[in-house]
Amino acid sequence: MKKLSAALSAVTLSALLLSACSGNNNGANEPSAAAPNAQSSDKAPESAPADKGPKTKLVFWTFDRHDNEYIKERVDNYNKTNQDNIEVEVTAMTENYVQSVDIAFASKQAPDILRPNQDTTIPFVKKGYLEPLDGYLTEEMKTKFGPTIQDQANQFDGKIYTLPNFGYTLRLVYNKDLFAKAGIANPPTTLAEMVDAAKKITEAGKADGQYGFALNFKAPKSALDRSAREILQLSGIDGFGYDIRTGKFDFSGFKPVIDAFKQMRDDGSMLPGVESLDIDPLRAQFAQGKIGMYLSYSAEPGVYQNQFPTEINWGAAQAPSIDGNIKGAAGFANSGQWLAISSQSEKKDAAWKFLTYMYSDELLKDYHEKGYGLSAVPSIAAQANTPAINGVEGFLLTQYDALWPLPPTVTVQGLNYGDAFFKYVLSGGSLDDIVADLNKRYNEALDKAVAAGETKAVVDPGFDPAKLQGTMLTK
Amino acid sequence: MRMKWRVHVENYGFLLPSFLLTAVLGIYPIFWAMRYMFYDYKGYGDMIYIGFDNFTRLWGDELFWEAVRNTIVYAGGKIAITIPLSLIIAVILDRGLKGRNFLRALYFMPTVISTAVIAVVFFIIFNSYNGLLNQFLLKNRLISGAIDWLGPDYAMLTVIILAVWGAIGNYMLLFLAGLQSIPGDLYESAEIDGASAIQKFWKITVPMLGPVMQMIIMLAITVSLKGYESIMVLTEGGPVGKTEVMYLYVYKLLFPVSTGSAMIQEIGYGSAVGFATAIIVGVITGFYFMLSRRLNKIY
Repeated sequence: MKKLSAALSAVTLSALLLSACSGNNNGANEPSAAAPNAQSSDKAPESAPADKGPKTKLVFWTFDRHDNEYIKERVDNYNKTNQDNIEVEVTAMTENYVQSVDIAFASKQAPDILRPNQDTTIPFVKKGYLEPLDGYLTEEMKTKFGPTIQDQANQFDGKIYTLPNFGYTLRLVYNKDLFAKAGIANPPTTLAEMVDAAKKITEAGKADGQYGFALNFKAPKSALDRSAREILQLSGIDGFGYDIRTGKFDFSGFKPVIDAFKQMRDDGSMLPGVESLDIDPLRAQFAQGKIGMYLSYSAEPGVYQNQFPTEINWGAAQAPSIDGNIKGAAGFANSGQWLAISSQSEKKDAAWKFLTYMYSDELLKDYHEKGYGLSAVPSIAAQANTPAINGVEGFLLTQYDALWPLPPTVTVQGLNYGDAFFKYVLSGGSLDDIVADLNKRYNEALDKAVAAGETKAVVDPGFDPAKLQGTMLTK
Repeated sequence: MRMKWRVHVENYGFLLPSFLLTAVLGIYPIFWAMRYMFYDYKGYGDMIYIGFDNFTRLWGDELFWEAVRNTIVYAGGKIAITIPLSLIIAVILDRGLKGRNFLRALYFMPTVISTAVIAVVFFIIFNSYNGLLNQFLLKNRLISGAIDWLGPDYAMLTVIILAVWGAIGNYMLLFLAGLQSIPGDLYESAEIDGASAIQKFWKITVPMLGPVMQMIIMLAITVSLKGYESIMVLTEGGPVGKTEVMYLYVYKLLFPVSTGSAMIQEIGYGSAVGFATAIIVGVITGFYFMLSRRLNKIY
């Protein structure tokens, strides 16, 4: 008898496991505390008056950490005040966000509102996750967000999938005390000045463990995309190696910048161990006064206020150009995307109502002024006060910040340009050969992607980077 | 007859849950990945059938072959240090030492600590600008300048040290289990014959551990060839691919490590590389198993 019941228990356990593994259509619309379910439950009309009938529940997934508390606070406020009987549940997923979104869409449990970014928007659009917003946008909104609507950033085949809120300017971040100690009056404006300043700072401070320059070379492409990029863009050269005038990749413009980085390493002006330095350890060292300068995004003021509070006297300045001549503008990075509506949502109208609240002038202005991110909406940036956060002054938009045309996305075989150039910085070789090899492989990958219909090689022979200047200050 | 049927139901009933778990989480993903080997697929859009193109690309993929070379150095280094060291520690701790249980627990502790945590701690110890190791060596004037332990020259050595530190306790425990199965009379008779401690180790301990050692080394080979987690956290395969190992390369192709990662998701090619990697691990393990059959027949 005991054996029989043991056998029955085992079979029952297997059956339970089977039922857990298989989909349960009947339960697909049940709300779940463990897994937020966009299809959650209610069948209430979307415009039910407040306090009447069941609420329209929306699920909103984001990955942003820096504004987590603020967003929760604003969502709570919306839940209490909206007249449409809508209740939004916001979930901040700081890890595995993309995988979670993929799984949610595959299992038809997608959130109603998502947060795409510069890396995920293209895949999300191609996977069909995002709903075009064109049908909801008013003329007023089109005018308001128009300057930051850009192909391959938030617009694909003429359809807009997400709208901007904030973006990142790129600057040289420097320790004013170390500059003063080395007898340098101003931040460098050319590559030669940067190399020289790094050397002087190191000579003056090496005994105290202070070095002139550092970059997060643990991820070389990430390091170049926050440093070489704006130096090149200010010099009128694309920061990702794509020459829109010819529709081809050409990395030859990188040569003086990479040589300058190599020179600083050979001089011993870089913090020892930059090869394994990630951005946060770099910031921690900067906060301790060990690094003279580095190049990065406008996230830094928030970092030094909250993550690595510092006593050092630091500032941000426009990055140097190659030779001091400004022929373009530094990229205003990651500025095209913020919120989007899921194509699987059954409550798209309600989701749009929530988005109109999140994209309201009042909220966007408040977001900017509280220092969570520099507004990427020119009309908001024009009316908002300077964010109340130390160090932000140097990061504010100027006429030398602009949206650059985005390069086509390609899958290159072999080393990417970040790794290839970093290898040269570490061990030398022929930079001309490296550039020729990169051009060959990137253009082969581009031709392949274009042939497969995966991307478009946009050509604009008349493109003039100098004309980008001042475009983000439109009022 | 009915009794026999019941026994069958009972046996298979108990087997079913684990079989289902293995099928869903172990076997299905293998076939899932194999399906994509012949396609160009980036996780979205159309899957384009490309025959053996992924394997042709693999053949000429310098990054992959560098990862294979790195894996052999990493696994070889880890095994060459871990196995003798854990055997020696196991032999010492098998004796009636005072506090041996405490020491066993101490050596075993790294095994139960999260790999990611270990890697972060090792970064604190080994980074060149303010790492504890450099500070110690400089303070005691053992070196004149900071050593770049995570730089191109020493990064592989550092990840091997990390791997050894994390593995010794585990293998020590397996050797201890093997040592305790050796009959005590063998040592007693050897002592009567006047054998020294070293003679007893080489003539009794090592041969008697043969079958256990065969399995331990096989386990060490497969685990080392497949290891990548600590490297992912400590160096992410860098600098410039110096610590890129096979499974880390596969992982990056299938799941690009971080936002803004240099690699783009390539499910088709990643599956082909994963398959080739599994074959390499299988061939090396099988080759070792063939060569090591003598260990099993030693007594």
